[in-house]
Amino acid sequence: MTDLSIQVRDAEGVAVVRPEGFINAHTVRQFEGALEALVQAGRYTILLDCQALNYISSAGLGAIMGLIETVRDHQGDILLCSLQDNVHTIFDTLGFTQLYRVFGSEAEALRAIGGQV
Amino acid sequence: MRPPAESEYFRLSIPSQTRYLNLVTGLAKRAAALAGMDDATAAKVSIAVDEAVTNVIIHAYHGEPTHQVDLELRFLPGALEIRIWNTGDGLRDDDVVLPDPREYVKHPRKGGLGLLLMSRFMDEIHFLEADGRSECRMTKKVV
Repeated sequence: MTDLSIQVRDAEGVAVVRPEGFINAHTVRQFEGALEALVQAGRYTILLDCQALNYISSAGLGAIMGLIETVRDHQGDILLCSLQDNVHTIFDTLGFTQLYRVFGSEAEALRAIGGQV
Repeated sequence: MRPPAESEYFRLSIPSQTRYLNLVTGLAKRAAALAGMDDATAAKVSIAVDEAVTNVIIHAYHGEPTHQVDLELRFLPGALEIRIWNTGDGLRDDDVVLPDPREYVKHPRKGGLGLLLMSRFMDEIHFLEADGRSECRMTKKVV
């Protein structure tokens, strides 16, 4: 089994990143690299579709934190959707659900940010 | 399924490499389930172990891959105790300053969240030194 695979695609002008597997200290560079590549390409609105993300440790949270100011400085954002219960618990425990907009599904997220991209 | 008898335990030792994290966290999750915890609680235990072992690899051993990380998972009456030892630059209880999540929300930055997750997900955490080794001892009660 691959520890982590990441799909990136465009949906209505939003970069949708879909990590599958787990993000921890071992896989975080791969995750961070995917996000950094988007930002370097000028894609500042990023939706993390977490449907297939089994868990994320603080290393992965740090990767998101490291880019949030940059994307928001460019009128973009990092949004989250389809979190599994244990991933939601991690975000919620740290108060990150106040920092990031969290949606139940990709469609819901795209509707909410429609016209803002 | 019969829960393990009191104070049964098992030990393992892994190289100080992050590629073994998933193996250890999987084991911790299964041990938590065996102790009688539900899936959500077992997932919290597994994350706490991920964070603790990562701290050893990255901070105590500075990413050097040739050291060993020793672990013991012990089934106590009504609880699972996890001990993680290293011979690198260890932490003690007095060294630990947990970040305030509210400050993180106001001033996002990288780092410092692992200890916070460990403290939120486990019932007790202590950092000790004994016999030339540093130990992280965590306990989770079976509710």
